[in-house]
Amino acid sequence: MSGRAELVRGVGLVKRFGGIVANDAVDFVVAEGDLLGLIGPNGSGKTTLINMLTGHLEPDGGDVLVRGQRMSGRPPNVYAAMGVARTFQQTQLFGRMTVLENMLVPGLARSHSTWDEVARRARRYLDFLSLSDVEQLPAKNLSGGQQKLLELGRCLMLEPAVLFLDEPFAGVHPRLRDKLLDRIRELHQGGRTFVVVDHDMESILRISRRLVVMARGSKIADGEPDAVRADQAVLAAYAGL
Amino acid sequence: MRGLPIAIVLAAAALALANAGRLNPYWTHVAIIAMYYGILAASWSLLAGYVGLFSLSHMAFASIGGYTSALLIQWFRLPIPLGIVAGVVMCCALGGAIGWVCLRMSGPYLAIFTLGFSEIVRITISTEDEVTAGMAGLHTHSLLASATRLPYLYVAFALLALSLLLMGLLVRSRWGLFFRAIREDEQAAAASGVAVARCRIVAFAVASGFAGLAGGFYAHYIGIMTPSVGDLDEMAKLLVMTVIGGMERLPTAVGGAFVVEFLLEWLREYGQWRLPVFGIVLLLTMRFARNGLVTPFWLQFLRLGEARVSPLSAAPTVPDKESGT
Repeated sequence: MSGRAELVRGVGLVKRFGGIVANDAVDFVVAEGDLLGLIGPNGSGKTTLINMLTGHLEPDGGDVLVRGQRMSGRPPNVYAAMGVARTFQQTQLFGRMTVLENMLVPGLARSHSTWDEVARRARRYLDFLSLSDVEQLPAKNLSGGQQKLLELGRCLMLEPAVLFLDEPFAGVHPRLRDKLLDRIRELHQGGRTFVVVDHDMESILRISRRLVVMARGSKIADGEPDAVRADQAVLAAYAGL
Repeated sequence: MRGLPIAIVLAAAALALANAGRLNPYWTHVAIIAMYYGILAASWSLLAGYVGLFSLSHMAFASIGGYTSALLIQWFRLPIPLGIVAGVVMCCALGGAIGWVCLRMSGPYLAIFTLGFSEIVRITISTEDEVTAGMAGLHTHSLLASATRLPYLYVAFALLALSLLLMGLLVRSRWGLFFRAIREDEQAAAASGVAVARCRIVAFAVASGFAGLAGGFYAHYIGIMTPSVGDLDEMAKLLVMTVIGGMERLPTAVGGAFVVEFLLEWLREYGQWRLPVFGIVLLLTMRFARNGLVTPFWLQFLRLGEARVSPLSAAPTVPDKESGT
């Protein structure tokens, strides 16, 4: 991470739901150029962590910093404006709006944007994601895999510095999953930073340069994928060995 | 020929206005009231249909607009148009405040909250009879010094046309896109950079402002304001009009207001039995035509003049002009 700018940092993040501690003093850093895999068993607190790092959940303790700026109490649209984009575990599109309109929303939400420029950019990304043919269809009519691609496209319209993808491969056909992986790799090579949460270990390991493992609300490992895979604590917590 | 439907609407409106003098006073009055409800239905569809904020305080804002105008004119001898504008400003401010208070509410919670607000307004107006004349009704100045209703018809038409134009511009701008995104998924809209809180407050303020405009006109047309203008029966009637017409488009909401108002008058000889009939129509609409009964006709009408094109290109497209916020 040395020499690379820090984009998002979570410091001692705590989140409780009733008696359950979903995140227990978690420290988490995303630096420019990362392609980071975030893994852990069900209920380990991965989505809660992402929700706090993107402004969708207010931490009970700790703080979130985006480019060094304290973000507590700010709404998610401020995070988006500062270049923090995300997708959701269950795909959340604007179902009755067309595919193109889904892309226009984040584009036009950016300050100083114009319809012409945003529509041009939206069509370029739709082409990149092989969704040009369906741009006038309601988003709810797309297949599950296409919906994941569209959600990624909607993030890209923010021209974000970092993208948090929450289970992007869940329920996606292997062929579309490969396409999604290719696009993530291409975008990463183009300078984007990614945090990918998924249970699909094979996919995560195919793209990740750094792996963070969570279990029972705590971070138990953070490092190179090979080193993390060999970690006994990870094997015990994640694989149940 | 994409402008053909607009040309037809304008021609039909011009023809109707040119022949409005042939209507007897009774049906002229019905047409004026239909336009009053048209403004209210369109503005409620902006809130409930576009943004998904199911507010039940819309008629309370019509009442506030009417009373504000009537009282300011009575107290300060303001010109009537200025009184109506003051009512609109008051409703915008109060609507924005309600929108701010309700930021975290949606669905039944928002409906119950706005219902409570509506009842507070009605009861306050009923009780404060030293100011509002209570149930006896507050007598208001007439907007026009005319012995016939025809000039009021033209004014009502102008206000409806102006309201539709302004609301139409709003929903075709990026704000309209944000409104629909919030309706579809508020969390995803926020993640897409949409300032959800600001949009919801603006929607409440604008819709309430138009309700205030309708209320102000009504006050100075009818000549008396009573608390019943903002009661729940009126809200239910507005809801029936908008839902039967189609709440996700401004013209269909207005169409619903016209259809219901004219049918209510036409079926008057059946007394109270006409009301259950509308209740049944509402139930059937919700069950079988959730986009409203007028919407399919309106969509068919919009397709007039379009060349035979593929279904994809016939779907709504990106506005081709720069539109400011």
